[in-house]
Amino acid sequence: MFDTFSEKKFLLKELVKRNLTSKYKDSVLGILWSFFNPLLTMLVFTAIFSMLFGRNIENYPVYYLAGRLVFDFYNHGTKGAMNSIRRNANLLKKIYVPKNMFAISAVCYEFVNFLISFIILFAVMIITGATFHITLIYSVIPLMFLVILIFGVGLILAVCNTYFSDIGYLYNVFTLVLLYASAMFYPIEVVPAKVQIIFTLNPVYCAMSCFRQCVYGVVPDWSMILYLAAFALTALGIGILLFNIYEKKLALEL
Amino acid sequence: MGRKSKLKGLLGGSESNNDNIALDNNVAINVEHVTMEFKITKDKIDTLKEYVIRTIKRNKKEKEKIRVLDDITFKVYRGDKVGILGFNGAGKSTLLKILAGIYEPTSGKIQINGKVAPLLELSAGFDKNYSGKNNIYLNGAFLSMDKEFLDERYDEIVEFSELGEYINYPVKNYSSGMRAKLGFSIATLVEPDILIVDEILSVGDIKFRKKSSEKINQLMSEGVTVLLVSHSINQVRKICDKCIWIDNGKIVMEGEANEVCDAYVSNANNDKKKKKKKK
Repeated sequence: MFDTFSEKKFLLKELVKRNLTSKYKDSVLGILWSFFNPLLTMLVFTAIFSMLFGRNIENYPVYYLAGRLVFDFYNHGTKGAMNSIRRNANLLKKIYVPKNMFAISAVCYEFVNFLISFIILFAVMIITGATFHITLIYSVIPLMFLVILIFGVGLILAVCNTYFSDIGYLYNVFTLVLLYASAMFYPIEVVPAKVQIIFTLNPVYCAMSCFRQCVYGVVPDWSMILYLAAFALTALGIGILLFNIYEKKLALEL
Repeated sequence: MGRKSKLKGLLGGSESNNDNIALDNNVAINVEHVTMEFKITKDKIDTLKEYVIRTIKRNKKEKEKIRVLDDITFKVYRGDKVGILGFNGAGKSTLLKILAGIYEPTSGKIQINGKVAPLLELSAGFDKNYSGKNNIYLNGAFLSMDKEFLDERYDEIVEFSELGEYINYPVKNYSSGMRAKLGFSIATLVEPDILIVDEILSVGDIKFRKKSSEKINQLMSEGVTVLLVSHSINQVRKICDKCIWIDNGKIVMEGEANEVCDAYVSNANNDKKKKKKKK
């Protein structure tokens, strides 16, 4: 069972497809909500926060969207992986499917969403007359480590959440803290300099800020990328290790 | 993409649960000293709060361990048709689930030589909102088939399931019989070396029942190894040539099918008489 790579690839594709179709299944606009959702919240936040921070931030809509894309990807990706085992409990108790496929597919699905929402970012950049800098190419680096980070954290959470269901509720609160600690919708300068150091310990903030630098035509901060890379790879290592140890026992906990 | 495939390799590499080391080629399934325990607490701790509080208070309830399988050892040779007998709760289904890879045994070793097709749950992998067509691919993926294989066999599945037009409608609108037919048609598509069956699945109406039991017989006749759990002694006598009788997680008897069946039936009758006497 599932010995060849093509079987696994096909399963992964089917799982991602199922997620894509089931999410918006009863809505009229369907997949278009992937566009409208960030667009509408962007308008709200722009209306409110342009007044507050308008002078500090150049092109607030782009600033907000660039942050929001990164945070949404992290937020939904890790939560999707976290719930993937429990959500498919019925299936996993009845037939043998490699359990990691569910966690991986959840992250892949969010990655597809992430790529789709890039269209909005670019569209807004064009509309607001922002210039496309050559540094945008650099953004591949922080985003790559962001993907690794999400895989790692997702795998860890998937195991923990299967053993203790309240990890899920705790994590919901945690991501709320993370949202405010990522400077997603306000400029980092409003935070006192001492507290800013704490922010740089947040890997999501690092990914977000590096990505923003790339969008705004600045070469990303390499020390931040290095920290993000170290954090992400450690998380992935722990995640894979933890998952491999507990994978066989997870079916008993469901 | 390269990074992702590397990741999958890392994740996938460790799950070769049945490593075939020095296994006699004639042995299809080798079960050695397999013990399975389920931890059962009357009030299960599955929230973190409770776990922490109980750890601090040091009154974590002793977990009751229920031993479902106790030191089971047997070998199934290639081409053997083995029936597994036992009363309800004897551990038959758990054994099959371990062999299918769903559970990991608490201790002991299992070696499997060949492609296994577990016919345990037929419509477990259905997505209700999907059309029958999409479900064929989804379910096929769960059963470790790849796209080319399914493309090739798609018409065959639709024809066998007798769904016709309805294959394009969502599964949630299917009757339970239609669902079972579709599940059966997908699951029996495989060309396995080892077939694991929990009760012969005859589904649907009379017509389809006949067709499905023919299909199962055809699958079994092609020299495959069969492991069959059934409460129908007649079926076991007809299909199997060897039998294993399990009671309370232990092997009571193992051997030629008719002998074991006779012993099992007479034991069941004795039990009945004893109970009557007690009353």
